Amino acid sequence: MSDQAKLQLLTRSHDDSGFEIFEVDSSQAYSGFKPQRSPATEWELRRQPLAVDGTRNFVLNNLRQDRYLLLNSKEHFLWEQFDGRNSLEEIARAFHLEHGAFDYSIIRELLAKLYHAGLIEGHRTLAPLSNFVTPKERSPAHRLGRMLDAWRHFALRTRDADRYCSTTYRRGGFVLFHPLTFWTVVGLAGVALAAAFQLAGHSMDFARLLSARPYMSTGVMLITLLAASMLHVLVHALACKAHGRRVREIGFFLLQGVLPTFYTDVTDIFMSNRRARLMVDLAGPMVEVLFGSLAMLSAYLSGPGIEQALLFGVGVLLWESALINLYPFSFLELDGYNILADLLAMPMLRKQALALIPNLTQRLRNIRTIQRAEMIQIAYLALCLISVIAYVVLHLDAISALLPFEWR
Amino acid sequence: MPIAADYLRTVSLFQDLDHAGLSTLGGLLVPKKAPAGAVIFRESDESDALYLVEAGEVVISKHVQGPVDVVLITFGGGDFFGEMGLFDAAPRSATAQAKADSLLWRLDRKAFMHILSDHPEIAAKICYRLVSVFIERLRSTNEQAREAIRWGLEATGYSPAANRALFDRKST
Repeated sequence: MSDQAKLQLLTRSHDDSGFEIFEVDSSQAYSGFKPQRSPATEWELRRQPLAVDGTRNFVLNNLRQDRYLLLNSKEHFLWEQFDGRNSLEEIARAFHLEHGAFDYSIIRELLAKLYHAGLIEGHRTLAPLSNFVTPKERSPAHRLGRMLDAWRHFALRTRDADRYCSTTYRRGGFVLFHPLTFWTVVGLAGVALAAAFQLAGHSMDFARLLSARPYMSTGVMLITLLAASMLHVLVHALACKAHGRRVREIGFFLLQGVLPTFYTDVTDIFMSNRRARLMVDLAGPMVEVLFGSLAMLSAYLSGPGIEQALLFGVGVLLWESALINLYPFSFLELDGYNILADLLAMPMLRKQALALIPNLTQRLRNIRTIQRAEMIQIAYLALCLISVIAYVVLHLDAISALLPFEWR
Repeated sequence: MPIAADYLRTVSLFQDLDHAGLSTLGGLLVPKKAPAGAVIFRESDESDALYLVEAGEVVISKHVQGPVDVVLITFGGGDFFGEMGLFDAAPRSATAQAKADSLLWRLDRKAFMHILSDHPEIAAKICYRLVSVFIERLRSTNEQAREAIRWGLEATGYSPAANRALFDRKST
């Protein structure tokens, strides 16, 4: 049998100052290529609940490289075929028989994702082509795009988060996840709500007192928000530990490239069940509920004065923060959105919904052909849009206060 | 069946010819009817003629594996194919098959050689157009080859795909 034909690939260096030529098997050899997934000890696969649109996802974790992939049912079928015994040609045939479709791009794209996640054996790294720079990539527009991408992905993080969280959980953090703790917070919040109604009649007095000392009031509010935000994230992480899953990192980043905030990466909770994910989602806002309630009760018990006004203000601020966090329709992936995505078992809901926007009018014109998943995505977009407009309208006075006087 | 001069004028290959040139050429063309599904020539058949499409559709495909061919291009009215057969006696590089009932006109290599020897001015104009078409089709082939190679590279991990997004959940 003759040797397989070879392709010579010229790959340029990043600054275009030189190039190298690599030789790979010809494309004719690829139909006989047998992809081999990594040994079973190196990955973990978790079936996700059935989504409301009738589809099912799977989360695949590369244990060695700490990388996760979300697979749909077709991709999962292909993953099962990548056992090193089936050639691409046989896999394509099996896929065709199983799904009645003949879309090779699914196979190619999945393989590329799996290589990137380090889950397919038998080939060298992507190094030869990773430095390839096309003329398009040297254009100012492309560079600007890369800068914006870097901005969106800016993050300060600690990689040792799991060790810190494990220690914190063992040394008392576990108490937070006892049912008694939850019901205590709920009871406290109920009492605090009653106290808030009692104090509501004095809210104008509180506002006057706070505006009389703007720097102190603003400082206290900011510090409170900052501390609550840090604790919020820590409790998310501890909830993840409560279910025996790993905390990948804790840090500070720009949520969706716009909102500076603390975060914790709890992707590993997808290797547990939906209940665990919902607990992780809810645990964070409970911090604001608890401390907001304590502040409100303290305000109720305090005598009239700046101290009472500050405590009342902090209570309202923290409760509002919890509410905003729990509201799912804001275009941001806050806790409420995560709860919604987990309940619907559609973890990519926001991204899928945003991806619909360019062709939305066209899709709406053919409304009869819209699938159930798309209906949910469109409903999500509509509710987000309505919510944002309502939020802006309700805060027009605050927005106009930011404008120059002559523009108001 | 005589060929209409009006039709010949629509064929890009002959757009530089005058009325006399078209008349000379028209006398050398042989009509061929191809019902839907009929094979006009197969890959590796003897190569000896060029075909003009007056009506219908013709699919040009190349065998890949088993029963699978890759479609290279589909021709319709005013197009032509098999031009390599005018110059090169090597076997056909692809298969031509009627997609719909088609009316074709065949120009044999012998007839073309007759034009070359007896009407060099007509031959020069045809050859000039042929070279332009060769260049255009070569460019298209290069694009197809690049696409096929890209598929292979991505499928076997040498080249990253556009969508490499990993999955994560960041709680805020």
